[in-house]
Amino acid sequence: MKNKILSFVLVLILFSLLPSLTLAQVQTRVRVIQASNVGKAIDPSLRDLHDQLGSLFNFTSYRLLRDEIVILSPNQPASVSTHKGRSIEITQVGFQRNIAELRVRIRRDGTDILNTQVRLSPGRTVLIGGPKHGEGVVILALSANF
Amino acid sequence: MKDSCSSISQLLERYFDRQATDEERSLVERHLPICQTCHERLTLLEELRKAIKAPVDEALKEETFPWVWEKIERGIRLGKKPSWQESVRSWLDLSPLLRKKVWIPAVATAIVLALVASPLLFKKTPSLSAPSVVEYVESQTYNVMVYEAEKAKVTVIWLFEEMEGESTTS
Amino acid sequence: MNDREAGLISRCQQGDQDALKEIFNQYHKKVYRIAYGVVRQREDALDVVQEVFIKLFRSIKNFKGKSAFYTYLYRLAMNTAIDHSRKKKKTAFLSLDEEGGFQPSDGYEKRPDYIAAQKELEEKVRWAIDQLPQDQKATLIYREIEELSYQEISGAMGCSIGTVMSRLYYGRKKLKDLLKDMVKGGGG
Repeated sequence: MKNKILSFVLVLILFSLLPSLTLAQVQTRVRVIQASNVGKAIDPSLRDLHDQLGSLFNFTSYRLLRDEIVILSPNQPASVSTHKGRSIEITQVGFQRNIAELRVRIRRDGTDILNTQVRLSPGRTVLIGGPKHGEGVVILALSANF
Repeated sequence: MKDSCSSISQLLERYFDRQATDEERSLVERHLPICQTCHERLTLLEELRKAIKAPVDEALKEETFPWVWEKIERGIRLGKKPSWQESVRSWLDLSPLLRKKVWIPAVATAIVLALVASPLLFKKTPSLSAPSVVEYVESQTYNVMVYEAEKAKVTVIWLFEEMEGESTTS
Repeated sequence: MNDREAGLISRCQQGDQDALKEIFNQYHKKVYRIAYGVVRQREDALDVVQEVFIKLFRSIKNFKGKSAFYTYLYRLAMNTAIDHSRKKKKTAFLSLDEEGGFQPSDGYEKRPDYIAAQKELEEKVRWAIDQLPQDQKATLIYREIEELSYQEISGAMGCSIGTVMSRLYYGRKKLKDLLKDMVKGGGG
């Protein structure tokens, strides 16, 4: 019995010394939003981002073009088409203490136009925006759940 | 029961809701072909039901309930927190050890573990806000700006149209 | 109530979340239908569904089995949806189909006039349902959306069948008047 307890404790010490770089399945939500100054409205589906969009940008209209949830397995890229000729590729590269590390590439006609790595925790949103789309611009809203 | 319009119209809603008796149903069905008013009333009830029901059916057909169960679990978790004493007690479950007289080495080992682990815990305080959300960002096509609004828990990566001859890496 | 359901409820009363998940799997669509019938918006209906099952888990100890479980759950769903709707009345979201609204050019849209007509009808139906007294609203939703019998509605609402019929009659009458431009068919 004593040996069992001792072994158990030794294993605990070992794990407490190692960095906790475990990988888990991460659900990531990608919303493609068109922001413009044509009209005055916000899509009801963007209600949870209403305050943030209003405080960060001066656009008067936000329209949801696409809403996708992707489940990311470690080191397996997942790709979502966002709008004409554009796509976003997300890969989970790490998971540490309730934070998912995601590599995000935005591609246009097969070429990378943005390559970034972000740390997402539940409740945090990353907005990637700026490229023109029609009368406004496109904003991608990324959030994660795990 | 008299087969007149006024008595039939009282049965119409029960008939429409399929709650009429067999006798009432046959009375109504005999009456409808010969009474435009009652027929129109029935049509109106159908239109009303369609206006109320169809959008609900449509919404449910397309609904995938994303993350709903996960949010319910989280809501339950946030609403119910056992005291730390209860958590530690259930995790340790000390009573069998006490009976078996091995608690002395177990306690000693726990103290050693705490002494070894505490410098590590204090060294690396977990904090969601301390490390930057964006580890790196690069673009050959756009100028890039990163803005972190800590209070709003939002990070913005904004891409500006490239000036000629420039490329950006950060 | 069958044995399986009784077993799930008993486990849930003892704090078993797996049992709650099975109940969720069985009933979440019905709860969504009731919620959507009241709030008439997807995001709000999903919020209500979450709230209902969280509340169910906390309150299920109070369920003594004297009535059918679904009537208990439906009552909880209806009350939660109505409360949610009441709180939301203070927050207004604009419809996207305003004059000069932007139409995306990448093939995602439907015909603008069709969208406008559908949204107008949806808004008007939601507004009209909101004008009804709570009891009439609940009765109509149970009948028109969930297709409960008068007996089942009387169980869910704790009233007589005569009261159910009366609420249906007056609720439909009021809706007819409020929506007379939207629905076809003559008066009666």
